[in-house]
Amino acid sequence: MNAELRSRLEAIVGPGLVFGPGEPVDGVRPALAVRPGTQDEVAEVVRACAVAGAAMIPAGGGTAMGLGNAPARADVRVHLDRLDRVVEWDPANLCITAEAGMRLEALQELVAKDRTVLPLDPPGLRRATLGGLVAAGQTGPGRLQHGTLRDWVLGLRVVLPDGERIHCGGRVIKNVSGYDMNKLFIRSLGSLGIITEVTFKLLPMPARRAAVLGRFADPARAWAVVGRTLGSFLLPEALEFLNPEAARRLDMAPDTCVLAVSLAGSPETVERQAREFGAFIQEAGGTAEVLRDAAAVRAWEGIREVLEGAFEPILCRISVPLSATATLVAATEGMAREAGFRAAVTAHAATGVLRALLVPGPDPRPGEVAMALEGLRREAEAAEGNLVLEAAPPHLKARLDAWGTPSGGLDMMKRLKREFDPLGLCNPGRFVGGI
Amino acid sequence: MSEHAFIRDLREIVGRTNVLASAVDLQLYQYDGYLEEHRPEAVVFVESTEEVARVVQACNRHGKPFVPRGGGTNLTGGTVPFAGGVVIEMIRMNRVLEIDVPNLRARAQPGLFNLELGNALAPLGYQYIPDPASQKAATLGGNVAENAGGPHCFKYGVTSNHVLGLTVVLPDGRVETFGGKAADTPGLDLTGLFVGSEGTLGICTEVLVKIVRQAEGVKTLLAIYDSIEEGSETVSAIVAAGMVPATLEMMDQLVIHAVEASLHCGLPMDCATLLLIEVDGLKDDLESQAAAIGELCKAHGAREVRVAKDDAERALLWAGRRGAFGAVARLAPSFLVCDGTVPRTALPQVLKKVAEVAGKYDLRIPNVFHAGDGNLHPLILFDWRDADMKARVLKAGMEILTLCAELGGTISGEHGVGLEKLEAMRLVMTEADIQAQRRVKAAFDPANLSNPGKMFPAKEVACER
Repeated sequence: MNAELRSRLEAIVGPGLVFGPGEPVDGVRPALAVRPGTQDEVAEVVRACAVAGAAMIPAGGGTAMGLGNAPARADVRVHLDRLDRVVEWDPANLCITAEAGMRLEALQELVAKDRTVLPLDPPGLRRATLGGLVAAGQTGPGRLQHGTLRDWVLGLRVVLPDGERIHCGGRVIKNVSGYDMNKLFIRSLGSLGIITEVTFKLLPMPARRAAVLGRFADPARAWAVVGRTLGSFLLPEALEFLNPEAARRLDMAPDTCVLAVSLAGSPETVERQAREFGAFIQEAGGTAEVLRDAAAVRAWEGIREVLEGAFEPILCRISVPLSATATLVAATEGMAREAGFRAAVTAHAATGVLRALLVPGPDPRPGEVAMALEGLRREAEAAEGNLVLEAAPPHLKARLDAWGTPSGGLDMMKRLKREFDPLGLCNPGRFVGGI
Repeated sequence: MSEHAFIRDLREIVGRTNVLASAVDLQLYQYDGYLEEHRPEAVVFVESTEEVARVVQACNRHGKPFVPRGGGTNLTGGTVPFAGGVVIEMIRMNRVLEIDVPNLRARAQPGLFNLELGNALAPLGYQYIPDPASQKAATLGGNVAENAGGPHCFKYGVTSNHVLGLTVVLPDGRVETFGGKAADTPGLDLTGLFVGSEGTLGICTEVLVKIVRQAEGVKTLLAIYDSIEEGSETVSAIVAAGMVPATLEMMDQLVIHAVEASLHCGLPMDCATLLLIEVDGLKDDLESQAAAIGELCKAHGAREVRVAKDDAERALLWAGRRGAFGAVARLAPSFLVCDGTVPRTALPQVLKKVAEVAGKYDLRIPNVFHAGDGNLHPLILFDWRDADMKARVLKAGMEILTLCAELGGTISGEHGVGLEKLEAMRLVMTEADIQAQRRVKAAFDPANLSNPGKMFPAKEVACER
């Protein structure tokens, strides 16, 4: 299949843009990699792979390549990086359409010129591409105020696994013409097709930014501030808890946990909230530091990326109902200790989403990590939540499913997969339930 | 199996008195807020997820289609039983099941009126944001089926932004749970796919929603214009100035007159259009936001800007907006609510065109709409007894939707496709786009029993000439 497929792909994209083997995904190495340059070429590449029965692995900036299970098969890695054009930017209607390979940071820089922002702040923002962001559904601390991808994607263009091109949604914020097909592809990890273009809603840039950093010796006091915030009228953009291990990675004071507050809005509301959060933190027995504008932005960049960049990381994301967040942070720290690791944990404290990076301690027992994570997953699921592996070495993924038990609808997910990808050629085996 | 056996089966499930099958009863369930009528074979009142599942299983055994119905406020024929079969009336499943303040979630049954959920949350200081203008009579299940909008979408999004989980009776009668209380659930976003599926993918029997604290403060303004263009240009100017009001609503003179005659809200009778603008959030900057918006309105031609002084004044302004559709009933025996969306900046252009269409077909078309979202609602007035007029109404509606599509918008902002817009789907979709949607339908409902005949235009067949 390879020689024939290779020459077919070269005929589509040009000879210098097909190479092999491709970079491995969770230890599985595709024989070929291809770099199409247009959406039409993506469709032709997919059609050629479908004809050849070749399994495809779409790739953008690679920031979420560790997400999911190891692929059941991988024949062609499809790089979207050459699709990096802005298709249409409509500042007056707060909306932008760009190709899937465009980097999120490049889009942010562009729309900032018109004093607007796409308020999505996933980790790895510098490298993340729009298509990868949508497919992997990565989120950041700002989801507290701004929600997630499903709240900002207005439209998508997708190449289905048979090479058919479709358009979902549009560029208006209210659109109920048929099924909300955007939702089918957002966070579907490329299991139903390859996203080639995204239309986002934008937001006017806030006039003022500030951050309040609270440091506490006792995490219970930080969580008391979270509780008090939830009962107040205050509207922080983000509220991020960092356990001492995560705070240490930021070079913050040792043995303290951090509660970081991001504030965005008019000067009046930002200043008032900075004052009130400072008071909340001090009254709870912590120390508060207020940062403004550029300093606040820099502090948040550090917080957003604090778990990134580890070599062969073991990284998991836990999502639970909000009130169980503090319990799960403690459970995560305990689970890591069981296997001789330390856990650097960050939590979007008011949305119930936490991430943990396992760092080897003085006496790490990697063989026990899978069992410890299973125990933690049971605890998350018992709280009506879940634990997802964001990245792990292949030997760990071989022992632990990346997704756990879906709460419901797995049979329907499999049926949708069969309807859209009957041959199982798009990221086979990587998504939930082996989809 | 005979007709009779089917009705007997249904009665066994829900009890004799909860199945309507007489001609008079069925006649009452053959229409909704749209113009087309189809009679069901039976209407079944259900009270639990289990009953819904058993009724759907009976429909499967007998090969009968079914359509769920709540308040029947649907405006596109979504709840009209196009292929006969059973109307499953959800209105008795109207309980709030849980208000979970620590997790900012509420669970309710689908027959609960949207406003009732709001009333249950308000004493606790919380709210469920989507509040369609019909919230007194529209149910949560209907809101989910249609992905209902309302006047707060510009800042807060639509129903799908606020629904996090569903219990669903699938078209084959199995019960499934999608999503849940945690913010992210692994797997395909079946909740997001189901919201807005117009009853074609099964019936939701429980809704899990996000709740938020009520805003600390709110300011409501009324800007009065002598020209409709200036009003709609102001909307874009407010957005361009970097402001994000919760509400930007407009009504034109015909609507204002109808509302005043009905509700006496103190609206000016001699203006061309009104903008209802609301800002909410922390109280610190609401005064300055309201002042800045007032200045912008005046700079763009508003002859007067009023700010509601207190809750009573605010309630009066909102009563006018929420009562607009009802009040317009004074103007004619019937009206067709056209529901298109355009990019906000195209509003002045599309409104001009609506006026032209009104002239061309000799119709009166008042406008009341969600200007901030570019979601317009030309209300095409007519008399349902006049067949010629009805035909002109449908043509005028299609012409307006065509224009919305041409301007980069879409054919439905919040009311759905239903029966009304089957062919209009082609204005915004290719055959491949529609085919992809059919695949979703096939995965959920291979037997095509769940609200058949809706949403999908007939397949394109190559004509032999």
